[in-house]
Amino acid sequence: MKILVCISCVPDTTSKIVIDPSTSQISSQGLTFIVGPYDDYALSRAIELKESNGAEVIVLHVGGSESEALIRKCLALGADSAVRVDGNPTSSSQIATAIISYVKQNPVDLILMGKESIDYNSGIVHGLVAGALGYTHFNPVMHLDIEGDRLKLEVEMDGGKMEVSCSLPAVLGCQEPIAEWKIPSMRGIMTARTKEIVVLPLESASQINIIKADIAETARKNKMIMAEDAEQLIDLLRTETNVL
Amino acid sequence: MEKVAIIAQTKEGQLSDASNQLISFLSTFSPKRILLLAIGEVKFSSLPSSLPVEVIQVSDGLWADSATIQPLMKLVDGFTVFGIKSIQVDNLLSLLAASSSQEMISGIQHITFSNGKFTITKSIFSGKASLALTTETASYFSLNRNFDFSNNEELKNQPIVPTSTTGPSTGSNATIISLKPITGAIPLPDAALVVGAGRGLKDPGNWAIVEDLAKALGAATACSKPVSDLNWRPHHEHVGQTGVKISPNLYIACGISGAIQHLAGVNGSRIVVVINNDPEAPFFKHADYGIVGDVNEILPRLTKKLQTH
Ligand SMILES: Cc1cc2nc3c(=O)[nH]c(=O)nc-3n(C[C@H](O)[C@H](O)[C@H](O)COP(=O)(O)OP(=O)(O)OC[C@H]3O[C@@H](n4cnc5c(N)ncnc54)[C@H](O)[C@@H]3O)c2cc1C
Ligand SMILES: Nc1ncnc2c1ncn2[C@@H]1O[C@H](COP(=O)(O)O)[C@@H](O)[C@H]1O
Repeated sequence: MKILVCISCVPDTTSKIVIDPSTSQISSQGLTFIVGPYDDYALSRAIELKESNGAEVIVLHVGGSESEALIRKCLALGADSAVRVDGNPTSSSQIATAIISYVKQNPVDLILMGKESIDYNSGIVHGLVAGALGYTHFNPVMHLDIEGDRLKLEVEMDGGKMEVSCSLPAVLGCQEPIAEWKIPSMRGIMTARTKEIVVLPLESASQINIIKADIAETARKNKMIMAEDAEQLIDLLRTETNVL
Repeated sequence: MEKVAIIAQTKEGQLSDASNQLISFLSTFSPKRILLLAIGEVKFSSLPSSLPVEVIQVSDGLWADSATIQPLMKLVDGFTVFGIKSIQVDNLLSLLAASSSQEMISGIQHITFSNGKFTITKSIFSGKASLALTTETASYFSLNRNFDFSNNEELKNQPIVPTSTTGPSTGSNATIISLKPITGAIPLPDAALVVGAGRGLKDPGNWAIVEDLAKALGAATACSKPVSDLNWRPHHEHVGQTGVKISPNLYIACGISGAIQHLAGVNGSRIVVVINNDPEAPFFKHADYGIVGDVNEILPRLTKKLQTH
């Protein structure tokens, strides 16, 4: 079985986001990048499946060469090979198109992604890929097992969960607790050095023009209430806000 | 934009307030046709709109691949399609968009249309920042739950035009083994009021004080990630970067430190109350109202006040 894991490389969750005034875009200076946390869950599950059932795991990222260290980390965790589609995508459709064109030339059985990237928060790349390829799509998936030639999944729904069975090929958006995040072993790091990262050109164009980025400031009231007057909170919620 | 469509789930036969507002909002684009694909039962007979809304009742089911969504694709062909963010709506919109080779934009906070061009503000980095962008090609749009409809004009309710009903076409590769709806509790993503609790509660046995307060308010309950990791609370209650993102009118955080990954899930709340016994807890900087105190003492007092006054 061939499993393709699509990863985003995103600023660390604790990053302070700032705008570069000369470009009006988000400045990447001083940011530490990580593999998207949900994508990390997807990759961890793919590696577990490789260990338990046998599978070939390929990691794919659409982005610039600065992401190679993170791609190497995925190889150190146990992915067999990696593909980087070189460019700076600016829309979900552009990323999806790059993934679709790779898969059309290099068929896979299962595509795992995170439920959403934590920078653009679109939550749609997996749906776009599944729709265009005609593959089965589930998102967000919390448990994934292989039973014969079918998948058994636990999927979150609005207001509940469901257990489903589906055939391959499929595209899944993953979230915890699908797997535990993993740390690369020393041996993993050594063997990753010789694994291949194929670089392909980004051919799809973006149809979206980004004008500028802004930082959202939510002004909070920051009013403190003494513990002995805690009940006042209820009065304030009733009078100063109309939430109650 | 002559033809606009909305995809929305119904609950007990009714549309959510946000979906109703979206229908009124779309009237500002002066469309000639408005089509509603209502997933679930339809028990309403009129909608606030500039022209009668054509309603297609769509049965709930597994809309999980491009084969099963064929009937829907035919219905929305040529329409510009909108929805309010939910798991099912975003999954369906993205499948439909890609199956018909259209572009989609999600996470929308603001949208206008003129001279064939959409100007959009999209929320990014879990609400910490936003992107202003334009597109002439996208025709699938998912609006955030806290989209601001306050400038909507008051529109008269118009009788709906029920047209047809449809369901997923057969031949799906997927089957449902079991459904586990969350019963009894208010679903977290929809809740207008939420009480969240963290590791400061110390023990899963202490959750009664959180549940009592939530009950007195009519609120849903939420928790921090370590609490669900420890199995003190079910996973679907965990809010934050890696959990559910909520945007209620009121969020009361009890015994939660306010880590940036937790804030990422609750930034969209209108009013935030923080109760923590550590005056230095980072969450206080992001609070509208803060109480420095012990949850075991404060929460029952708030519950009592709500029950008696
Ligand atoms: C990649 C990544 C993703 C993450 N995603 C999430 C996420 O989605 N959601 C999330 O919540 N976390 C997430 N985390 C974890 C996050 O960083 C914090 O560890 C977590 O939010 C802390 O949970 P907590 O506030 O319940 O616990 P703690 O940090 O232990 O805080 C407990 C608080 O309770 C207070 N307290 C103790 N006793 C009392 C008392 N008697 N009365 C009142 N207050 C009391 C303490 O002062 C303290 O502030 C993530 C972390 C990483 C690295
Ligand atoms: N640049 C990228 N390269 C490869 N995969 C990506 C990229 N961006 C997003 N993805 C995948 O698509 C998922 C959903 O992303 P999004 O639709 O942006 O929220 C992510 O969790 C990743 O698995």
